[in-house]
Amino acid sequence: MTMNAWLRVCVGATLLAVVPFPWNSPATDILPPGHRARPPGIHALVGGTVITQPGTVLSNATVVIRDGFIEAVGQNMSAPADARVWPMQGRTIYAGFIDAYLPLPATRTSAATAEETSSDFNDSFTAGGAVDFYGVVGQRTDRGMPGAGHAIARVTPERRAIQSYSPRERTLAPLRELGFTAGVVAPADGIIRGSSTLVALVEDNPNAVVLQPDVFQHVSFDDRGGPERVYPQSLMGIIAAVRQTFFDAQYDAQIHAGDRAHPPGRPRPEFNPAWTALRPAIEGRQRVLFEPGSALMGDRVRYIAEELKLDFAILACGQEWRRPDLLADNPATFIVPLHFPTLPALPTEDDWEDVSLDALRAWDWAAENPAVLRREGREIALTTHGLSDKKSFRKNLRLALDRGLDPMDALAALTTVPAKLCGVDERLGTIAPGKIANLTVVDSPGYFAPQAKVRQVWIDGRVYRLPADTAKSVRSPTKEKSATTAAGEQKADPEARPAELRALRQQRVARSPLEGRGPLLTPAALLIENATVWTCGDQGVLTNARVWVQDGKVKAVGDFTLTSGADLVRIDARGRHVTPGLIDAHSHTAILGSVNESSIPSSAMCRIGDVVNSETRTLGEQLGGGLTMCNLYHGSANPIGGQDCIIKLRDGASPEGLKFDAAPPGLKMALGENVKQSGWGDRYTTRFPQSRMGVPTFIANRYRAAQEYLRAVERAEASGEPRPRRDLELEALAEILQGRRWIHCHAYRQDEMLALLRVMESFGVRIASMEHVLEGYKIADEIVAHGLGPSCFADWWAYKFEVYDAIPYNGALLHERGALVSFNSDSSDLARRLNTEAAKAVKFGGTPEIEALKFVTINPAKQLKIDARVGSLEPGKDADLVIWSGPPLDSRSVALQTWIDGKKYFDREQAAARAAARQQEREALLAKAKKVRRLEAAGGGGERSAKDGDTFFRVAWEQLYEGVDREAEAEGL
Amino acid sequence: MTRNGKTPGCGRRLRTWNAGARIGVLLLTGIGAGGILVPSLAAETWLLKGATVHTVAGDAIPGGEVLVRDGKIAAVGPSVNTTDVPIVDLTGLQLYPGLIALDTALGLKEIGAVRATVDVREVGDFTPDVLSWWAVNPDSQLLPVARANGVAYFEPAPQGGVVAGQSALVALDGWTIEDMAVRKSLALHVYWPAMTLNPTPREQVRDKAGWQSLEDQAKQRAARLRALDDFFQDARAYAQAKAAAASNQAQAPTPDPTWEALLPFVRGERPLVVHADEGRQIQAAVTWAATNRWPIILAGGRDAWRVAALLAKHQVPVIYEHIFTLPARDTDAYDVHFRAPEVLRQAGVTVIFSTGVNSASLVKNLPYEAAQAVAFGYPADEAVKGLTLYPARVAGMADRLGSIEAGKDATFFAMDGDVLDIRANVKRMWIAGREVSLESRHTRLYEKYRHRPKAR
Repeated sequence: MTMNAWLRVCVGATLLAVVPFPWNSPATDILPPGHRARPPGIHALVGGTVITQPGTVLSNATVVIRDGFIEAVGQNMSAPADARVWPMQGRTIYAGFIDAYLPLPATRTSAATAEETSSDFNDSFTAGGAVDFYGVVGQRTDRGMPGAGHAIARVTPERRAIQSYSPRERTLAPLRELGFTAGVVAPADGIIRGSSTLVALVEDNPNAVVLQPDVFQHVSFDDRGGPERVYPQSLMGIIAAVRQTFFDAQYDAQIHAGDRAHPPGRPRPEFNPAWTALRPAIEGRQRVLFEPGSALMGDRVRYIAEELKLDFAILACGQEWRRPDLLADNPATFIVPLHFPTLPALPTEDDWEDVSLDALRAWDWAAENPAVLRREGREIALTTHGLSDKKSFRKNLRLALDRGLDPMDALAALTTVPAKLCGVDERLGTIAPGKIANLTVVDSPGYFAPQAKVRQVWIDGRVYRLPADTAKSVRSPTKEKSATTAAGEQKADPEARPAELRALRQQRVARSPLEGRGPLLTPAALLIENATVWTCGDQGVLTNARVWVQDGKVKAVGDFTLTSGADLVRIDARGRHVTPGLIDAHSHTAILGSVNESSIPSSAMCRIGDVVNSETRTLGEQLGGGLTMCNLYHGSANPIGGQDCIIKLRDGASPEGLKFDAAPPGLKMALGENVKQSGWGDRYTTRFPQSRMGVPTFIANRYRAAQEYLRAVERAEASGEPRPRRDLELEALAEILQGRRWIHCHAYRQDEMLALLRVMESFGVRIASMEHVLEGYKIADEIVAHGLGPSCFADWWAYKFEVYDAIPYNGALLHERGALVSFNSDSSDLARRLNTEAAKAVKFGGTPEIEALKFVTINPAKQLKIDARVGSLEPGKDADLVIWSGPPLDSRSVALQTWIDGKKYFDREQAAARAAARQQEREALLAKAKKVRRLEAAGGGGERSAKDGDTFFRVAWEQLYEGVDREAEAEGL
Repeated sequence: MTRNGKTPGCGRRLRTWNAGARIGVLLLTGIGAGGILVPSLAAETWLLKGATVHTVAGDAIPGGEVLVRDGKIAAVGPSVNTTDVPIVDLTGLQLYPGLIALDTALGLKEIGAVRATVDVREVGDFTPDVLSWWAVNPDSQLLPVARANGVAYFEPAPQGGVVAGQSALVALDGWTIEDMAVRKSLALHVYWPAMTLNPTPREQVRDKAGWQSLEDQAKQRAARLRALDDFFQDARAYAQAKAAAASNQAQAPTPDPTWEALLPFVRGERPLVVHADEGRQIQAAVTWAATNRWPIILAGGRDAWRVAALLAKHQVPVIYEHIFTLPARDTDAYDVHFRAPEVLRQAGVTVIFSTGVNSASLVKNLPYEAAQAVAFGYPADEAVKGLTLYPARVAGMADRLGSIEAGKDATFFAMDGDVLDIRANVKRMWIAGREVSLESRHTRLYEKYRHRPKAR
């Protein structure tokens, strides 16, 4: 503690009339003369309603406190003779409330530390250096923070809130006024942030206030805090960094466990305080509190914690209502903020136009979020976190109760649940003998009645009178009485409005975002008759044909005898055309957070599978164009990008539900202008590579490193020694070398493509697909000889210098020379019309129509190695199909129905109704919002309208990119 | 741009033309404006026959005939009265008037990411004296690519702050921009100030210092609109001062290039192309123009379908550029922009299709913007008009362009299918009676590499 802090404690102490000596607390407690003596420690709170724990109510009961602990509680009990008696008639006494998440600014460290070193960090990418961290080739002596520590300055698990926490009355008093007696002070910055501390909410000697040191280890997925150009920048990069760090900590624990654990012949292990600090977490002795920032990432945390074997809890983002289905299997306890959007003050009536349905839904759903969590069986603890004005906590809690939160659950969320979560349930959370005497005293009928004032909190057996309590004592009884009468006389009309407002807010108008999505029809069997069927398989195109679907699979196509009639849905498709569902081999459409981890040249540890965004509207839009599958890629900012994720467009399903189970893992790589950063601006000239010369050099370097890594792993396995440090970047590259993962590489110019082919051939690796391959037509034979499948743009050109030689004949020419060609979208727009993209191969170069259709069906399936399951209409394959109004390559045809796994996900006839329902919902919400504003303006109380820093428009992570085609972002621009 | 005769592909090209000659048309080979060997007719009068003639002005004429004289269409019909003229046999093909691509960056932009090749934007909010056509590169590799799919005329549109400058209508044939520009100026391009507020809360923006409250944004919005109107009222005052001077009622104002440039526009002699996408912008722009009695054309028009009645009432044609724009609102149907032209048409609004003010390399896809609308209910004949006759009208060129009618320029192309069908290809094309090459950087590279010997 600094001298200043110490002085503050002394000054504060005199003001509070509670004088601790910071260095010890002698049993005698006799203070030197001049100080006010400590009050005696024996108290009896008599005659109040005591709620010892949620659901247990003792009326007219007594609580006896002795020296900071509860000695006794019960009815028909007389106060001990040595106690000071506190009459509690008309009061309700709860166990002291606990706020499980208080990121206090006092724990912040200077961000400048990280900024200062960031340029060093980036300027040191010189080839030939040691492998330092996560694929970064470089030679750094300082790892981003002064002194020993983690390579990533924002990873500071060794930080302890306890070391920088100074109690401040200014921040603590408002919490006590809400009835809180203890709180978890948490480090507020970074990715892996450090340990929090449970403290009593009093300004006192810091040593004395600590109830539990190192409560949680804190992990946040916030991608906004870091310095520019420093790994990790993206959400997926943050997750990769978290994963790697925990694995490193496991390894560190293993090799430091004993002399024998560290195998001879390996370099002396480094001392890394970050890894050491994570030991309690990896050994299950410390709970990890994740701050995922979004509903989907709250779900992702579950998988990550499972993978890392962590005991975990989650700080709710407040938007869990978006996907309540994800909560059912999530074992975490959620710490839930009551931070609700308030209606904006819009300059003109017309400006409501800028208010989306989603924003209105977020406003209308917010108060129901705690109840949603409970309905799905989750334990919740409530926190004041996120409230710029802490006073709105009780008002918002009232809104949450009005929207279905059980008062008993609410009480548990303030007492027993946080106590258990913090591991202090034997000492806090209920009123029972032996427990710490933390109490919250409220006017009856209790905390959940808005007019009931919090009178006192007791912390460690000491009373803290709150303004409501002190005000009463100075006021004369008569005055108080006249005040109430006056209010009573006036109240008739003004009271009506709050009641109306309350009733209005009680009723949710918003629908769940899951409504109007998901399968429209899920028949056990389907028979499509009289159609022209483009099988994209051996049967070719069949006219007047039938397609039989059973249990989600194609049972038969063409001419067959129907053997089952039960629950059969028949579709007469006379004049219609049926094709396999279209497959987009290259997409960025459903990715949460940045598409690129653009800081480092090899980001192979990043997994798109971590950040699949099931909530984007683009899925529905693309279903409307007959698309049923796509491969989600990392962007092309780095020579070695991230791990891909193949999804089916089962709109409405969870991220896990979208993932295609039979997809072999893939890795995105990239070449050319994007990876050499030529379009990034003049500041980007120091990352290796900066030229097409350096790209193959860099790639060869990483695969060589992966080869060595693989050898070291194999050696260790053979000798029974511990494996080397697990390296997630090299692990992904090693899987390529082992043939267990496939390369899909963004490539434009013929020279760079040949260079990559030869580099990978030197490692014995065959590339699965090259993406865009704009100059592929120049080296068609080489492409065919290597055996990779080119996945092209139909006709994009001239947007960058390296695409000046791109021609729309590319696909046709490659096909003619024997290559397995697909056309991809790389665009949320083009993904809606891949059929007409395929038609361009007919126009430019005369590819036969049936072959051109394969460019967007079976060929991409083959390139992605999923053709055994999808891509054609053949018996045994997944029933992913599209019914078109006319020939599929005719630009005047439209998709009428799109089916995935034998379920109808899109029907043109129902699309308009779904949109109309959304429009109606928005109008109803607008009406409600405007009415709420009117009532408030008329003095109805309730929510204030927000102005600066308006939280109403806070956009959920899942919605951040709506209406934006992410192709430019994928370019790394 | 010249090509070495030894380059693969060139010889092939000549063979193709020879094959054309074999159909019995009297042809002489000459050097066209593209520097490419193209055939040109020696005769000044010739007859096209055999094609289905999509006159656009009326019904299609199967197996129709078009008589061309001195670069103009002399007669059109199932059979025209003529003797002894060279004949171009187009049996089995579809003949359409040349497509007109309004509001593009063609000629102004070669490679988007290479700044040295981009001339689409000037500095300053009010630059009406910027003239786009002086920056059109007649040898842009992008021009022949657009032409090869039937685009005969385009409008290079200036971009900029509020009043960006003037555009022209440019033919895709000619040696210099002075040959090529057929109407200058076509219109003054006005970019209507944004009227949406950015509602992102401070906590969510990266640039905290640059964040502004909704109220402050609303104030700036009002100021921007005021500045736009003041600019035009100043121009009108200048025009009035000039008029007064002309009738000796006052001294002539000091000549100013900015105000001079605006004269035809504030006098209502030429149209303003107002770029606006969002509903409030469109409403404000239409009302403003109507109040001032200035003819306007709406470009962009993403939300035009939502204010269709207003546009119809004021007879504002719409250059619709958002067929392929993703739905803008979360209440929109998936096909909202595919259907928007039909909503506008039914309200009585003239719809012109465009690939958009930023498009250059893919202007060739212009007909497929219309095709998408057709797939979603727009009448096919109206769609073709939106690519030909309607843009000709808007450009003030309907007396010469936009349909196959007697008296108009002989600008048309013959296709082996429907112009709206991606699978179809242009086989031959004429601009003002001159046959133009369908060769491009694309075809040359294609020919070169398809003849690459098999690699070892």
